[in-house]
Amino acid sequence: MTRLMTTTALALSLAAGAAQAQVTLTLWTESASAPEGVFAREFSEMDNGITIDVREIRFDDLVADTLRAFATRTNPDLIAIDNPDHAAFSSRGAFLDITDKVAASDVIDADAIFPGPRSSLSWEGRMFGLPRASNTIALYYNKDLMAAAGLDPDSPPSTWDEFLEAARALTDPANDVYGVAFSARASEEGTFQFLPWAQMAGGSFEEINAEGVADALVLWKTLLDEGLASPDTLTRGQWDSTGTFNGGNAAMAISGPWELGRMAADAEFDWGVTLLPVKEEGGPRASALGDFNLAIFANTQHPEEAFAFLEYYQSQVERVWPEFTRLPSVAGVDLAPTGNERIDAAAAVFAEQLESARNRGPHPEWPRISRAIQNAFQSVLTGAAEPQAALDTARAEIDRILN
Amino acid sequence: MSRVLRSLRDGIGFDTLLIIIALSYLFVFAGLPLIYNVIISFQRVDVFSLGTLWHPNVGFENYERVFNDPLARRVLINTLIFTLGSVAMQFTLGFAAALFFHQRFPGATWFRGLFLAGWIMPGLVVGVLWNWLLSGDFGVINHVLRSLGLIDSAIFWRSDTAWSLYAVMMANVWYGMPFNMILLSVGLAAIPDDLYEAAELDGANAWQRFWTITLPMMRSTIGAVLALGVIFTLQQFDLFAAITQGGPAGSSTVAQYWSWELSFREFDFGRGAVISVTMIIVVLFVSLIYVRSTRAETRL
Repeated sequence: MTRLMTTTALALSLAAGAAQAQVTLTLWTESASAPEGVFAREFSEMDNGITIDVREIRFDDLVADTLRAFATRTNPDLIAIDNPDHAAFSSRGAFLDITDKVAASDVIDADAIFPGPRSSLSWEGRMFGLPRASNTIALYYNKDLMAAAGLDPDSPPSTWDEFLEAARALTDPANDVYGVAFSARASEEGTFQFLPWAQMAGGSFEEINAEGVADALVLWKTLLDEGLASPDTLTRGQWDSTGTFNGGNAAMAISGPWELGRMAADAEFDWGVTLLPVKEEGGPRASALGDFNLAIFANTQHPEEAFAFLEYYQSQVERVWPEFTRLPSVAGVDLAPTGNERIDAAAAVFAEQLESARNRGPHPEWPRISRAIQNAFQSVLTGAAEPQAALDTARAEIDRILN
Repeated sequence: MSRVLRSLRDGIGFDTLLIIIALSYLFVFAGLPLIYNVIISFQRVDVFSLGTLWHPNVGFENYERVFNDPLARRVLINTLIFTLGSVAMQFTLGFAAALFFHQRFPGATWFRGLFLAGWIMPGLVVGVLWNWLLSGDFGVINHVLRSLGLIDSAIFWRSDTAWSLYAVMMANVWYGMPFNMILLSVGLAAIPDDLYEAAELDGANAWQRFWTITLPMMRSTIGAVLALGVIFTLQQFDLFAAITQGGPAGSSTVAQYWSWELSFREFDFGRGAVISVTMIIVVLFVSLIYVRSTRAETRL
């Protein structure tokens, strides 16, 4: 009898041990092949008793699905979320405040995180996540097409006027080549692409109708009206737009470093990257700060284990550039050579462009602010409104949201 | 007590019990959500209060904001065009196809079955396929039209505000046509052959037979198909999401897509609910037609 009891007790404690050893966390992300997906698989394979189930959700649905899940308390433990959406969650206490955990951590140094990404994941001075990486947009150009059009492939356009002239020179309808590919879609991608132009003209999301911003809209409208960019620019995202550049159907493209891997594989021509053209010689630079943050949901059963994954992520951060062509968001990480000379040349350009990258928000109602900006450029580009009038309307809407 | 039990086992009590079961199912899974939807259309609801049962009351503010929105007129017109256009074309094409496959020729039933292949595909898949077909620069439809010499320059179906709504409508007609065809085929099959034989003996030609036998005999089926068509078209969401996202500049936004956009893009569930409440009222009317036409069917 005693032996039986001992055996039972032993079995029970073993079972308890096994149960304790097997913590399963869920992670939602836009792509399982993004760094957090890959690192999560590695982390699961380690002998730490933690398994992370990675679930992939389309970028367009990520926030909506997560909100729905959160409303019914079926949300994941961890999420990789686009940085302008972060504040909506952190301001309402949906994300775990990790300020104290970070302070106690040997791996994560909060002060090393660049100010832009850090502000996107902070709310009222507390930290609610970790930046996955940073990105921003710059100008890709097809050197072969430039040479063929009589332009110097080694001096890409650096001002708006030069950019417009280059787009005109490079457009070749007979061969199905547009001057430039970008995205003016009515989604966060469109806002991401438009804000830098507005900022270079002296505006910001708070002052979207500032003097000069209308010039940015006029420039975009000229690109479409003169057929220098595909009319599908209005409905196509950045990934598909840049796909036409890779296929040789656009001579320039405005997009971010996430394109580099695919471009290196697909593009059968010589290409380069340069900073976004500024409005006038010596004018202010601007670009948008993009990429995702990693966050832990406040209602997770396993905050320690989830934080352990963030620490693992941070320990691998120097791989983010060479393996995923994303820019690390922490100081002191060198962009290691990737072995591809075009990508390595792009590294310096994107790193420099990132210095002028500005946050979208942070504001809990960013989607509505973004929506007002999208309405402005879409109504102008479709000819439904005049630039200044559209921007004034957007300003009025944004003021209502901000106040 | 025993009387109640007996009545339950055999009699009016049993019938009542069955009705109560069905009604409570309807009430819990259809009635309550509908009522709740009406309630939140008068409240301020965002994502983070979505999980709580009660939200601050705002009276008719949501209604005022929706109906005074600059987009509201556009959406109303778009919804009308999209619904009536889609239903009319789905029905006409579906009826034509049903009549065609009703003729007895080898393989008729097989081909009719094949038509259903389109209908059983998920809406998003259909949307993605049409997205490629409709693409401005590399789309198949533009290529075909250009090869036939019908157009000189590409039509940007998805990005031209004059075309975007019709681009989605085309996809929707293709998607919904087989369903119309199948329902109408069933109606056709139910018409007794001897009616046609008698008419033929009396010298009625094909057109007269269609006009005086097929159409009147199909009246209840047609009513049901049209009503269902309106209801399904008002539910069509996937194609919009996949093809135009309601754009550009709201030119292809319809009520159901706008409702979703307000709820899940701007996270204003109150205003999203306003639109769905309005749509429920419309659907309710259409459902009455449907119920009436199916009631006629049972009498027949």
